[in-house]
Amino acid sequence: MNRALRWGLAALLATGLLVGAVVLAPFSSWLPGGTVADLPLAQVVNGSAFNRLFPAPELGQQLVFTQEKRGFSEARLKQAGEALALLAISDTRTAPDARAKFEGSRERLQGWPLLEQGAQASALLVADRFQVKVIGQGQGLAADQRHALLEGFDLPGLAALAPARERAASPGGASEAFSPESALQEAA
Amino acid sequence: MSRTVLDRLDRLPRRGLTVLALQGIATLVPGGWSNPTNAEALIAEVLGDDDPALVRQVRARADLLSGARHEGYGRALSLYDAVNRSQRASGGLRLLANVTAGLPLLQRIGNITPPSDKLQAADLSLKVGAELLAFTQVNGLPGDSFGDFTAALADYAGDARVRMAALICFDGLLPLGNQALERLDGLLGQVSSGELRQLPAYGRLSGLLPGRGDQAHLGFLRRGVESWAGWAGGFIGQLGLTGQRAVQALEGRLGPWQGRMEGLAAFLDAFTDTYAHTGVQAVARRLVERAAAEI
Repeated sequence: MNRALRWGLAALLATGLLVGAVVLAPFSSWLPGGTVADLPLAQVVNGSAFNRLFPAPELGQQLVFTQEKRGFSEARLKQAGEALALLAISDTRTAPDARAKFEGSRERLQGWPLLEQGAQASALLVADRFQVKVIGQGQGLAADQRHALLEGFDLPGLAALAPARERAASPGGASEAFSPESALQEAA
Repeated sequence: MSRTVLDRLDRLPRRGLTVLALQGIATLVPGGWSNPTNAEALIAEVLGDDDPALVRQVRARADLLSGARHEGYGRALSLYDAVNRSQRASGGLRLLANVTAGLPLLQRIGNITPPSDKLQAADLSLKVGAELLAFTQVNGLPGDSFGDFTAALADYAGDARVRMAALICFDGLLPLGNQALERLDGLLGQVSSGELRQLPAYGRLSGLLPGRGDQAHLGFLRRGVESWAGWAGGFIGQLGLTGQRAVQALEGRLGPWQGRMEGLAAFLDAFTDTYAHTGVQAVARRLVERAAAEI
């Protein structure tokens, strides 16, 4: 194969790839995969931001982190090797249904809507975006024990993770109540 | 890859050689093993409630999660599948070598299989490597510090104690003897990159292992095995696991075994799917825990 032909083939291949990329680029959002709801990763808060907001374990208890993904972090609260509860924070951006279910809730905990899901799960929606959940394991926990665990989370810190413009736009009055604090945290 | 994790869980066998072998090993592990093969029951257990509407919601969320490429649950299963296929192939080869060793014309087959100790050590290191990779695929890198990470790893292993016991017994103590962990590093040191490339599982895993080239991969596998062996040594001491006890436990379920321990290990490799079976169960549990927290 002579030299000119080789260069010609290479140029043809390169233009082919370029044209292919340009043609396919608008369809990239249709290609399968990505996050669960096919959102750009940047729009979902990374799970590592949630870790420091988990409640500190009491004496004799251990908090073992078990999963950390985009928009999700989960830990197990253990006592003497037995799991007492699953504690989790998730970004409802990838699960709009999870956020919508709080519309019917009347209970409030520290100003945020609270919901019971079945016998062992309590969920809290913070800043209209982050779901905090406690699920009793093994023997199970009473509702007020679960609520105490929910209050142990750093809820103002979690509310501060939502971008400022979103908080200003959110209709709930509760999220504004925390704005001085979150402004302080953002300044720090 | 088209089936979701929970579909795979529902399709796991409830009886058969794999289940019998695991039930045998489970007699050595306190707490035992219940062979969860029903997604609805698993969801109800995690959720602490069997309300059908809630269970359905969790299941829908879990199926969505296992279909998303970035979430890693599906990828972890394909890792387990790759290792499992390779285990069956090498087990079959070793059985064949055992059988044909007595037939003059067929002895060549015995000669083409690599010395079984080295092959077995490499196989075990690939399984441990796949386990570490699958852990990060399923759980991410939990916590903020290295201490958090090792605690998470120990917690995951504790979740799957029967799985780990099966890995230690079937791939360590039975084929390599009771000094398996002490011998492991030395055996891996003898494995050349050519021999590594002969392993079918390596072909499937090499793209996923960190580092470039066979030497870097071998280094990763040795480091992975070293850190795992520290944990496994404690586990063996705590449960008092030995090859002999493993054989006795298996005989209780599978019937008497007359041959050597290596032969039993090759038989189990060739005819059971313990690694993928318990792998699906471990991944399904973590997936359900996440889905239950996200609905």
